[in-house]
This record gives sequence, structure tokens and C-alpha cells, in this order.
Amino acid sequence: MTPTSVMSGLDTPTRSALAGLLLAMADDDFVIGFSDSEWTGIAPILEEDVAMSSIAQDELGHAKVLYELLAGLLDDGRDADALAYDREPEAYRHARLLDHGRGDWATTIARRFLYDTADAARLASIGDGWPPLAELVAKIRREERYHVMHALAWVDRLARAGGEARTRFAAALEALAPDAPTVLAAPEGEAALLEAGILARPMSAAFRGWRTEVFGILGPLGITLALEAATDATRHRATPSDDFRWLWGEFTSVRRSDPGASW
Amino acid sequence: MTDDGNRMIDEGAPIAPGEASGEGPGGILEPYEVFRQEKDGDPMRHGGNVLAPDLELALHYAREMYSRRGESVRLWVVRRADIGVLDDLDLLQPPLDRSFKKPGGYVMRDKLAAARDRAGTTKPGARAASHDTTGRRGEGDR
Repeated sequence: MTPTSVMSGLDTPTRSALAGLLLAMADDDFVIGFSDSEWTGIAPILEEDVAMSSIAQDELGHAKVLYELLAGLLDDGRDADALAYDREPEAYRHARLLDHGRGDWATTIARRFLYDTADAARLASIGDGWPPLAELVAKIRREERYHVMHALAWVDRLARAGGEARTRFAAALEALAPDAPTVLAAPEGEAALLEAGILARPMSAAFRGWRTEVFGILGPLGITLALEAATDATRHRATPSDDFRWLWGEFTSVRRSDPGASW
Repeated sequence: MTDDGNRMIDEGAPIAPGEASGEGPGGILEPYEVFRQEKDGDPMRHGGNVLAPDLELALHYAREMYSRRGESVRLWVVRRADIGVLDDLDLLQPPLDRSFKKPGGYVMRDKLAAARDRAGTTKPGARAASHDTTGRRGEGDR
């Protein structure tokens, strides 16, 4: 797809808002993908090791196609790899929810559950105003369905297990709850995105739908969470966490070892 | 399942947490056998097995192990303990001749050869090619 074809029909404010939305979506998938891939080799059982690694790969795959779309839109000479790897930690726009490290298994499952359900609500908010994104999202949603199923299977088991499993899981949810809604913070220029049909509904509506869904899942398990809508200003931290700086050092290490090399 | 009914499969009875595969997510990890279909219309073939605490996670793990690269269109997952196994060779491979149960019927080759010897005739050459040792029915056998 040529840059010209993906840019056609968008005015400058809309294009700029779209670029911000794509970057946030791509960074979210990229960061959780890399973070969860840390379980490779050390997940609770072999089968879960393969499952979690495969899900992490899916997220990196989603990040890749979103970065590619963004590269075409920006048309500034940077390709998907440059967008993914050649930024300083401060320039990443991942949600605060993903600024936490993977923690223990309970934290990872809590984060996956909160992210997968919120991401699904965000993907369901993408309209058909910009066909390249609409077509991509239709494919991504087919894969994300499984991620939610996997997360829910674990939520149910950890919550019903009682004992240490439930205690750790409930504590992880509580620790992540203040940052979870940041995934669904309204993007800058949301009005233009709605006007262009790139967004089919405002993120505030996506947030309300997501919160109802989360409460509907956790309620029967006897877990209550406080989830407050996030604003764009609170989406990401101006100063990334030490967890993210460490992760950034990991995922950029190979790229930085020989800048500009062909792999 | 019989005590030694593991010919098709390579793992034994249910595995308790802490044993072999480490702590399970709850309950006892059990082997589930996975059958996969490569494309619509193909037979279901045994693909392998996974350890899981229940059918739901077994399906998730089967998906990751046997179709994460898109190599299946359908999976069947069944608890190994629910599979009936018959591997008694007295029942499956009877020691006496059972060739009369084969679609080709009795193997007549030796009897026919003896009869030809007695009659002093030779085997019709044109039909020699249809004789084989598999018990398959050939015109010259009857």
C-alpha cells in the first residue's frame, strides 16, 4: 500500500489525530507483547508457556501491522521497525496499565484480562471511515477473541481457587485498577476522528461498555473494583516507570547493537 | 483404560500437581488426547496430547500446540481417561488362520498348486500375474 493511497481523503487535523490513535494502539500491543513474552520458559506449566508465548507473539504481530499502517500515514522515512525501536523511552505512548512490569502470574493474568477486554472495546469502536484501519481491525478482532477467552478462563480459575491464588489475583486487580481505564482514554482530536467515521463511538462510550462488562465478570466472583474514566492527559506517564525503562533496554538491545543493520 | 493401555500414547495415568510438570493451576493435571483435521473432509488424525486441569484449558492448549500456525481446521480433545482401550492381542491378533475372514476369502494358492500337480497340468501363464501372497482375491485362486 502506498502512502498516497492510505492518506487520501484525510485532512490534516484528522490525519494527525489518526496518527496519534495508531501510535497508542501499536505501542499498547507492542509493550504488552514484549512484556508477556518474558514468560517464555518459565510459565506455570509447559502448555501455558506455549499459550502465553503465542499470545505475546500475536500482540507483537498486531503491533507490527499497526506500525506499518502508521509508517504509511506519516510517510516520514521511518518504517515499522524504526517506529517500534528507535524512540527514547519517553516517546512511547503505551497506556499506564502497561507501564507496570509483568509481576507474578496473578499480575500478568490481571493485566491481560483488563487489557484484552479494554482493547476489545477499543477495537469495537473503530468505524469504517478509514478502510485500511477498518479492514485491519476486522482481522485483529478475530484473533483477540481467543485472547479474551484465554484470559477469562484464568480469571475464573484464580478467583475461584481461593487461598493464595485468589488473594494474589485480587490484590493485582486492585493495584492495576487505577491505571486500567487509561487504555480507553479519549485520543487527542477525538472529535475529528468521530467526524471522519474513523471512530464509530467516543471512547467514553467504549469505557462505559467495558466497565459494565468487567463488573459483570468480576461481580459473580465476589470481586469489586473502582474504575474511573481516564482523560487523554492521564493516558501515559510523562516519565515512564523503571519497569518500562528496563523492558525498553531489553527490546532495543539487539537493534542498538548495530544501528541500521539488515536482519 | 487397561493398566498398560498406553500403546497409542506416551504418558501414563493422571499426573498430580508437583509431579513431572510442576504445580498446576488448580486441581489435577490430566492428559487429554488431541485429534486434528487438516482440511475439511480429511479424517481426524491423532496429533498428540496436552496436560490440562479441565476440558476448557485443554482446548486452549490444544489450539496452541496443534493449530497456532493455522495447520488445523478442527480439533477434537478428549480426556484420556474417557478413552476405551482394547489392546489384548489374543482378541486383536488371533493366533490361528483367519484368512477366511478377509474380503479375498480362503487363500487357495497352495491347494490349487497341489491339484495341478496331481492333474499334471501347469498354471495358465496369462494368469500368473494375478497371484500374490497377500490373500487378495485373484482370478487364478478360485
